[in-house]
This record gives sequence, C-alpha cells and structure tokens, in this order.
Amino acid sequence: MPLLNSVYRQREAGKPLVTLDDYRAAGGYQALPKVLAEMDPDDLQYEFMRSGLRGRGGAGFPMGKKASFLPKDSQRPKYVVCNADESEPGTFKDREIMEFNPFQLLEGITLAGYAIGAVRGYIYIRGEYEHQARVLDRAVAEARAAGLLGTGLFKSTFDFDITVYRGAGAYICGEETALLESLEGKRGQPRLKPPFPAVAGLYHSPTLINNVETLAALPPIVEKGADWYAGLGTEKSPGTKIFCVSGHVMRPGNYEIVLGETTLRELIFVHAGGLRPGRRVKAVWVGGSSVPPLGEQHLDTPLDYEALAAAGTMLGSGGCIVMDDSGSVVRTTLRLVTFYRHESCGKCSPCREGTSWMEKLLQRIVDGQAGPDDLEMLKALFGRISGRTLCPLAEGAVGPVRTALELFPDDWADALENGVPVPEPMLPVSS
Amino acid sequence: MADYARVDLDAENQVTFELNGRQVSAPAGTMLVDACYAHGVEVPIFCYEPRIGPPVGACRMCLVEVEGMRGLQTACSTPVRPDMVVRTDSPAAKDGQEGVLEILLMNHPLDCPVCDKGGECPLQDRSFKFGGGKSRFFEGKRHFPKPLELSSRIALDQERCISCFRCVRFSQEVAQDGQLTMQERGVQSQITTFSGDAYEDRFTGNIIDVCPVGALTSIPYRFVARPWDITNTPSVCGLCPVGCNTELTLRDGDVKRVTGRPDPNYEVEEGWLCDVGRWGFDGDGGITRLTRAIVRDANGERHTDLTDAVAAATVALRGASKPVGVLLGATATVEEAAIALELAGGALAGARVARLGIPAAPLAALRATPRAQLDEIERADLVAVVGGDPGLAQPITELRMRKAVLRNGARLVTIGSRPGTLADVATHVHAAPGALTAAVAELAAQIGATGRPVVLWDEAELAAEPAAAEALAEAVSANGATRQIELGADVNGAGLRALGIPATGLLEALEAGELGALLTVRADPRSAPGRVAWEAALEGDVPVVALATHADRTTDAATVVIPVQSLLEQEGTLVSMTGRAQRVRRGAEGPAGAAPGWEVLIALGHHLGAPPAYRTASAALAAAGGRYAGIEGLTYDAMGVGGVELPRPAADHLAADAGPARAAGSDGLALVATRDVYGGREASRAPALAAFHAPAAATVSPATAAALDVTDADTVTLTSPYGAASLPVRIVDGLSDDAVFVTLGTADAAAEALMPPDRGPVRVGVSVEARR
Ligand SMILES: Cc1cc2nc3c(=O)[nH]c(=O)nc-3n(C[C@H](O)[C@H](O)[C@H](O)COP(=O)(O)O)c2cc1C
Ligand code: SF4
Ligand code: SF4
Ligand code: FES
Repeated sequence: MPLLNSVYRQREAGKPLVTLDDYRAAGGYQALPKVLAEMDPDDLQYEFMRSGLRGRGGAGFPMGKKASFLPKDSQRPKYVVCNADESEPGTFKDREIMEFNPFQLLEGITLAGYAIGAVRGYIYIRGEYEHQARVLDRAVAEARAAGLLGTGLFKSTFDFDITVYRGAGAYICGEETALLESLEGKRGQPRLKPPFPAVAGLYHSPTLINNVETLAALPPIVEKGADWYAGLGTEKSPGTKIFCVSGHVMRPGNYEIVLGETTLRELIFVHAGGLRPGRRVKAVWVGGSSVPPLGEQHLDTPLDYEALAAAGTMLGSGGCIVMDDSGSVVRTTLRLVTFYRHESCGKCSPCREGTSWMEKLLQRIVDGQAGPDDLEMLKALFGRISGRTLCPLAEGAVGPVRTALELFPDDWADALENGVPVPEPMLPVSS
Repeated sequence: MADYARVDLDAENQVTFELNGRQVSAPAGTMLVDACYAHGVEVPIFCYEPRIGPPVGACRMCLVEVEGMRGLQTACSTPVRPDMVVRTDSPAAKDGQEGVLEILLMNHPLDCPVCDKGGECPLQDRSFKFGGGKSRFFEGKRHFPKPLELSSRIALDQERCISCFRCVRFSQEVAQDGQLTMQERGVQSQITTFSGDAYEDRFTGNIIDVCPVGALTSIPYRFVARPWDITNTPSVCGLCPVGCNTELTLRDGDVKRVTGRPDPNYEVEEGWLCDVGRWGFDGDGGITRLTRAIVRDANGERHTDLTDAVAAATVALRGASKPVGVLLGATATVEEAAIALELAGGALAGARVARLGIPAAPLAALRATPRAQLDEIERADLVAVVGGDPGLAQPITELRMRKAVLRNGARLVTIGSRPGTLADVATHVHAAPGALTAAVAELAAQIGATGRPVVLWDEAELAAEPAAAEALAEAVSANGATRQIELGADVNGAGLRALGIPATGLLEALEAGELGALLTVRADPRSAPGRVAWEAALEGDVPVVALATHADRTTDAATVVIPVQSLLEQEGTLVSMTGRAQRVRRGAEGPAGAAPGWEVLIALGHHLGAPPAYRTASAALAAAGGRYAGIEGLTYDAMGVGGVELPRPAADHLAADAGPARAAGSDGLALVATRDVYGGREASRAPALAAFHAPAAATVSPATAAALDVTDADTVTLTSPYGAASLPVRIVDGLSDDAVFVTLGTADAAAEALMPPDRGPVRVGVSVEARR
C-alpha cells in the first residue's frame, strides 16, 4: 500500500512548515476557530472518541476515552501534557513533527485543552532535542503574538497557553508519571498508580497526557471529521501511523502509513528500500526496542495493533528497528539490556537490580564465558522481574530477551559455544 | 512496630475479607500490610513507612496474591476491599517475596559481621524469615567508596543501601529540610544531599532509625556495641518539656545510644526525636560532671563520699536558725519534688518550697481550657502558634505541624515577633513583643470560623502578657471544638505545678532575710533568669546544699554539693507540657560517687530525724499520688511505658503564684528570650552535637541593626533593670524591629542576667562594646 501523508501536514506539503504563515497556508488553524465557535467541550471529546484515535506513545489507549476520564467537577485546574520525551530507541517521529510542523502540535494541544477545560498545556521535550525545543519556543512565541495562545482565544472565553519544558536526558521521563514528577521539578521516577494522571496528575490536578503524534492528529480529525479518520485503517486500529524505520535498511526514515493496510514486508522492502544486497531479515523490533522482536517468518504481518499483537509483539511507538543476518541477536539483546540497565530509574528493586543482573549474564554469554546454567538463570530471572515492577520499563527489558531466546535458539546455542564476535562495520546507506 | 500503621479493629466501617483462609476484618481504607499485621500475619516490607507518608511501592517486598487481580500485588499500597481473597503464603506469593529478597541481596555486601545494624536489621531478619536461603548471583557486586560521612553524626555505607527511599522521604516529607536526595539512577543510585554538603539539620538522626539496613549508622555509635551486648530500656527525654519517648541502649553500665521507640508514642513524638534528644546523652559525662561530693567549710574545700556529704548537708540545714528554702530546678522529678515537700512538712518544718520557673497564676485560666495531645495537631484544620519558636524550644512539635500542613492540608498560622523555623509552611502574623493581645483577638475570630482548631501557645511569652493569656483562654473556650497545647518552658514545670509548687516566694523570702539555708535540687539559680538577684540574695552567709549532676555556678559556691544521677541514670517521673506523666528509666549506672536525687532526699529525711515511709522511687511516687490532687492515683503501673495524661489544673490553681505586676515600659528595646534546645547547655556539652555549637548572640533585625548602627562584627552590651550582658551581634531577617532576641540556657547564661526571676517583660538598652 502506498504512503498516506494526510494527517501530518509537513508530509502532505512536502516541506517544513515552521512559520505560522506556512502552517496557515497549508490549512492550519482552521480547526481551532471552528471548534471555539461551534462546539462545546463535551462534543469535541465525543469527536475524539468517535475518531478512534489511539495513543501513539506506545500503549495505544484510545485518546478520547482517556480525555473522558478527567473529572468534570474538579475544583483544581486541569492540564494537558504533551509527552515529547521520545527516548525509545529507534523512535524519531515526534522529532519530525516538532521540527517541521510545530504549529500542528500546538493547535492539537489547544484543541485537547479546550475539550477538557484545561488552563495550560506543557510540552515535555527530551533534553537532547535542543533544536526542536527552540523551534517549539519560537512557534509558541509566534502563536502567542498572533493571539492563538493566551487569553480569550478567537474572542471566546477560552484562555490557554503552552509552556515548553526540557527534560534532562532520562528515558524514564517518557513514562507518564515520571514525566510529571520531572515536570514538577522532582527526580524523574514513576509514581504509584492509582491515582492515575487523569485524576491526580500534574501538581495533583487532573491531567491529560498524550504523545506528540497523538495530539498532532487532532486538527485534521476536527477539520475532516471523525468519520473520515475512523474510516481509515481497520475498525480497531483506525487512522494513520508514522513508522520510524532504522537499522539495516537502505532508506531509513519516517513513513506514514494507514494502519492495517501495509505489511511489515512492504514497510521494509518498498518504503524503506530493502536491505543491503545479499542480506536477509534476521529480526525486527517493530514498535521500538521495548517490544519483542519478530523474525523473517512474520514479514507479512499487517501493521496494526491487533495483527502485531497476534504475531507476539506490539505496535508500540512505531520505532521499527531492522536487523539483517550479518549480526547476532545475542549481542543486540545485550545492547538493549544495557540500555535498560542504564535507564532504569532505580526506584523499584526488581528492575534496578534485575536489569543489572541480566546484563551481567548476557555479557558473559557474549564473551563466551557462560554455560547452559546461565541461560537457565536468565530465564528464571524473567519471572522474578516481570509483573513485579512499578512501571513497564522493566517489562520492556525482559520481553525482548524472552522472545529472542524463543525465536533464535541457534544464535544462543552458538553464543554459548563460541561467544559472539564483534560485528563487521556497516556499509554506507543511501540518503 | 513503627513499620506498620496502627489498625483499629473496633472502629466502625469494618471490611471483611479472607486472609490465608481466615475471615478477618479491618476498617475500610486500611492497607493490606497493616490489616495483615493486625491479624498476626507479617507481610515483609522495606519502603513502606506510614509515619513518613503514603506508600510508594518501591521495594516490591510486600508482594501477595489477591484473587482476581493479575499478578502479585504490593500489599503496602492495596487497600482492603470487601470479600477480597488474600494469600500471603501461597507458592506464588512466597516466590514473589523470595525473589525480591534475592534481588535485594544481589548487590548487598553481606558484611553483617562488621555492620552495626547486624542483629537488629530488618533486612537480615526478613531474609531469614522470607528469603530462599541461597543466592544464585555469581557476578561481581557493585562497589561504592565506604563509609562516607553523610554528616558529622551519620555514616553512609552506600553498598548496603537497598534504595527504599525512606531517608530521602523523611528529609523531604517529614523534616521538610529539602536536603536528601538520590543521585544517579538505577544500580548506581546514591544517597546524597542536593548541595553535596553534609546533611546537617535538626532532625537528621531519624533517618538512622528508619533505614531498614546498615546503610545509615550513627557515627558516635559506630562499632560500639552489638545487639547481643546491649539492653534497651524505654525512657523519656529530659531535655525539653515535650517528653519524647525514647529508648536507651545500655552497655557496660553506660548509655551508648538513644533512639526513637520502635513502638512509638503516637500522642507525643510519633517515634521521631530531635538530634539533641538523640545525641545529647553524649554530654552527660564529660569534664563538668560531678563525680564526688564536695564540702566547703572554714577549713576550705574537700571532696568526700556521699554519706559524709549527706551528714554535712544535715548539719548545714539543721543548723539554720530560720526556715530553710528548697528550690527545685526544671528537671527535678515528681518524686524528688514530692519528697522535698514531705521534708518541708516534717524534717524541715516551715521550709519554703519553690521551683525555678514561670509563675502559674497568669496562665491558670488558659491551662484550664480543653487541652490536646500532639496527635490532635494532625486532625486540626487550623493550627495556630501564639508566641515562641517551637522548632527550637519544643522541637518535635515542629514535625507534627509540618505533617498537618503537608499531609493533611491544615492551615498553619504563627503569631509573634519572629516567623521561626516554620516560616516556610506557615502564614506569619507579626505581633511585636508586648502586642500579642491584639493578635489574639484576631485569631479568636479565625478560630470561630473553623472546625477543629488547635492553638499552641508559648508559656513564657503569654506569662509576660497576662491580658493576651486571658484573651486566648476565652477564645479557646468560646468554641467547643478548639484545643490548646502549651509550649512549656521547663522540662518538668507541669509536674512541679501539679504538686502545687509555686515559682515565687522563695527569692523574696531570701531577700528579706527570712531563710536560714537553701537546698537546691537540680536547680542553678545563679544561672537562671533573675540570676543577678539570686546572686545578691545568696551573697550573705546562707549555707547552700546543692544536689546537682554537673558543676555550675551554684555548685561552685555551695556549702555542700551532692552529685546526683542524671535522668539517664535514675528512676523518675516527668510531666510533659501536655500534662502526660511519663517515666524516665535507669539506662546507665552513672558515676560511682552519685546517687539518685530521690535517694539523697530520703537519706536527708533519715538524717534529719523524720524518715519518710518509703525507700524507693516507686513507693515515693505512690505516696505522692495518694496525697496530691494534681497527680491523684499516679503510680508506675498506671503510667506503663506510654505514660498517662493527668487531669487539667483548675482555673484557680496556684492563684497566688504571681510575680509583681510589671509595666514593660518603653525605654530601650524589647528583650525576647527563647530557649533553644540546640544552643543550650546540654547540647553544648555533647561532642556529638559539635555541629550545633555556636556562640550565644544578641540577634536583631536588619532595621534594628541599622538604627543601632551595628553590624554582625560588633559586640554589644545589653543593660536591663535586672542586669547586663555583652554578646556578639547577629542579624536575621524577619524579626520584629526594636527588639533584641537572645537564647536562654546557654553556657554563659548571658540572657538570664538581663531578666527578672519571673522572666516577665524586659526592655534593654544597647551600647556598642567592641567593633571589629
Ligand atoms: C519506560 C517508558 C517510557 C516511555 N516513553 C515514552 C515516550 O518517550 N514518549 C511517549 O509519548 N510515551 C512514552 N511512554 C508512554 C507514556 O507512559 C504514556 O503512555 C503516553 O505518553 C501516553 O500518550 P498516548 O496515549 O498518546 O500514547 C513511555 C512509557 C514507559 C513505560
Ligand atoms: S520498573 Fe524500572 S524504571 Fe520502572 S519504576 Fe521500577 S526501577 Fe524505575
Ligand atoms: S540509606 Fe537506608 S533508608 Fe536510605 S534509601 Fe538506603 S536503605 Fe533506604
Ligand atoms: S513495602 Fe510495599 S513496595 Fe515496598
């Protein structure tokens, strides 16, 4: 299936839309005045719900439904928080939206703010996205100057402003409650849930948290109608999704596809230009590094939430990491576990210590210093970490290892025998 | 156990559920761990500490199985629900608990043989009870430099830390000193302060008590004893009138450590201690400790034994041709006071007994209004502090007030001449010294408008403003829901008052030449407020018999000095500022040349020919309980380990105990004298508390400093109608202008020299003595 560049306007326009004029010329800021003039917040929430839009940050929770969880009678101010921490390895879609189309995100956040009666929106952007944060800052200033943020938007009674807040380089700050802690100026660590952010989020107030890609989808949904969006894709996975393809492909990059219409094979071989000559697909982490890998046998899986779940993995953030047969899944697995060990916030014991234990075991396997007992120990550890942690980070560390063991037994057997040699350097790829 | 919250199984709204096959109940909202514990089922925990705050779910130690819920649940954060089916000992739950312990021990150094915590370590105990007994971890362990000095009093062994965050949460949420944090993340997480400086603050020692492993240990206690070498005795802190319940650790006849009670007294300290209460014992010995009796006569001064000293004391007291004065200090116990009264009624018939303290009459009406224990502060919606600086003078009250604000959303108002240590959480209503009455009137209006107000009032400041005290008494009784808590000035002031002992009369009699000798019991009038007057009155040839623990100005001049045991060494009863009679217990043996104060007084009775009918402290108290209405029926049994609340005194109690009416005048600056536990004599004696040691100062606001044309490099001489003192200047923001703030109880007793014996309103002239 071809790409559908219809939700994210920089794709449709085929060029960056970093000034307000550009964004307006591309059709921007038509949804907001329409909503403010014609709809009440509940109707707007209902539109979101009808569109079937699901959260693009990883969990895929229906966006409209989450908005409806915010208490209507709270005495406290409400907030919209845009999760722009985008730290999942292999994921770089939010970056494109913020860098090339910041106003669509601002308009989306403002629409979400109106729908829940929020007083302010925050964009929590990962510290490394320095340039993108500047683009956003500039866009916010321009929108404010143009009366698109501030008091009495479009002569309505709706007051709303947006603050851009830069994180300091922690993966865990993408987890929604750790993000809120960090945004409040505290150490970024997940909170015990319940209460959920919808009830007690930022500063203990009702808070709607969504991913950049989720919020940026709202303006076109409002303009073209929920039915239009719901009509794209499958019944349970409507709309389009940006997949970030990286790894051993000839044309890495972002590709916006209609959910359910494109297979993994098409994504890799048609859109991302296929592999290096003579190579075959070894493993693909379709939804970011936290999802279980797929193998060559799964290439015909359609890219939507349900089909990927049936194949044993998750759509996740859409960060599709492709690995060809030139390397060992064992070493890659070690690399991923090292990432999780390094990023474990340290709040809960099974993750803090368990990821370190897994890493040490895997390192010995890669070094050829391990025996079958160690593999058994590794498997035993899964059960002692999985399901026992405070947040899903540890699950993201365990799942991929567990599946890698199941799908690639030969790699592991070989590693136990011989260790894993350092891989050959990559060939240059086309732009 | 402090680890688990108290559960009231008789409360309304019980929820019934199944626990390991049994039908049990607990009030709705109770966390499963607490409900289990109340029913005799221990679910192991590490991070949960209900006194610190709500559960955080960090350690994952408390995993249990709840039917119908996916995976294992953390019992510390799962409230009981009707008909839930809970298994804490099923194979799945056990695997969860074993798994977490294996993982916690993975990087733990297991250096128990050299760890101070070994033998009293929750990690050890729970590993034995709930662990798998064997580790499968063969990789290298993580290392940190060890041990680090987190502060001058606390050592941090980061390798032992299990990242339960209790210490960090204590610092952030209980003491709210904003200092401790976890640095780095994951397995590299480390406890440190934000600034990287030492963790020096007023309540830091509590993190040692809450640490479930040996990561935080007391430096003075490092390698001093193993848990099987020690005995622990429940006692009460005798350093301020709050009366925090403590535990004394005894080894080789000495107190080696003071900790919070493992089973806290929730009506008093809730298990917390201030650092002076925890480490002040360190100053109980030291060079000023009296270890031998002294007799001074025409032949000069000689050291002697107790029997000889008591005989000499008898001669001095019996030889007096006029009645004897008996002066009780603030730490004299109820027993000692009662025996002294008995002597005054018999052996020393006609003796005049008084206490060093504040006259009772101006405060009697206020004391008669409905009173609260400290736990009531948590349930208040408005907490008002009238006068004083409780964080310094009655330290533990500060933690309750902070809890009321942070955890329960109470409104905290401080009224007086300085915002004090609560400035960051309170609304401060400024009232210049002498101007409390108007502020109290304003407060009265606010009290009327709230549901459950608690008013804490400063004994010294309200005694100095009787009109304000009266207005406050009225405001408290006007609304049936209001409760008051006295912020007392003297450790056992309430106990001495309960026996009807006045603060006035003795000095006046002495000055009038009516007394023939003076017996002091833990009293140093020459360092007390009004010390200049006391010194003048003692100038003549009045013999003084002093019962004291440490050398002081009075023992330096006394005819007979009899060393007595300190409140760490002898039995006794103290009555706290909230009217709780509580027992101090014998934790240490004390110097061989000292005896319990009560025993010395009984011996004096024997020598004077009127032996009391009892021989023990316990019997002395029981006898007193039969005689004095204020402590009616009081016995050691009645007090148990947690103490009992005595009835409130009547509004006409000690009606005659009033100092002379005093107009404050308007010359000079108002003198505000506060007791500061951290700056006091006891703290300054303790090497462990060196970080608090600072010279006494005359503290003024920047505007006052400018008006006086002084800087904090200058030394000033303060002159009042009662005496003079010179002190270095300190300048602090937020204080009343036209006032000088000084600290009572410091070693040099400078502030005391400026004051009359009843402490009441004083104004001072200021002159610059030295400029640097
Ligand atoms: C360890 C961890 C990291 C996460 N990182 C991100 C992230 O970088 N960006 C993001 O949008 N969501 C991230 N999430 C998911 C968020 O917790 C949350 O579900 C999401 O922001 C909700 O937005 P959505 O409903 O629009 O997806 C992460 C979750 C976990 C457990
Ligand atoms: S699972 Fe890991 S990242 Fe999540 S709370 Fe626990 S330690 Fe932190
Ligand atoms: S030092 Fe002790 S109290 Fe602090 S986090 Fe570590 S184990 Fe917990
Ligand atoms: S005690 Fe329950 S998670 Fe720590």
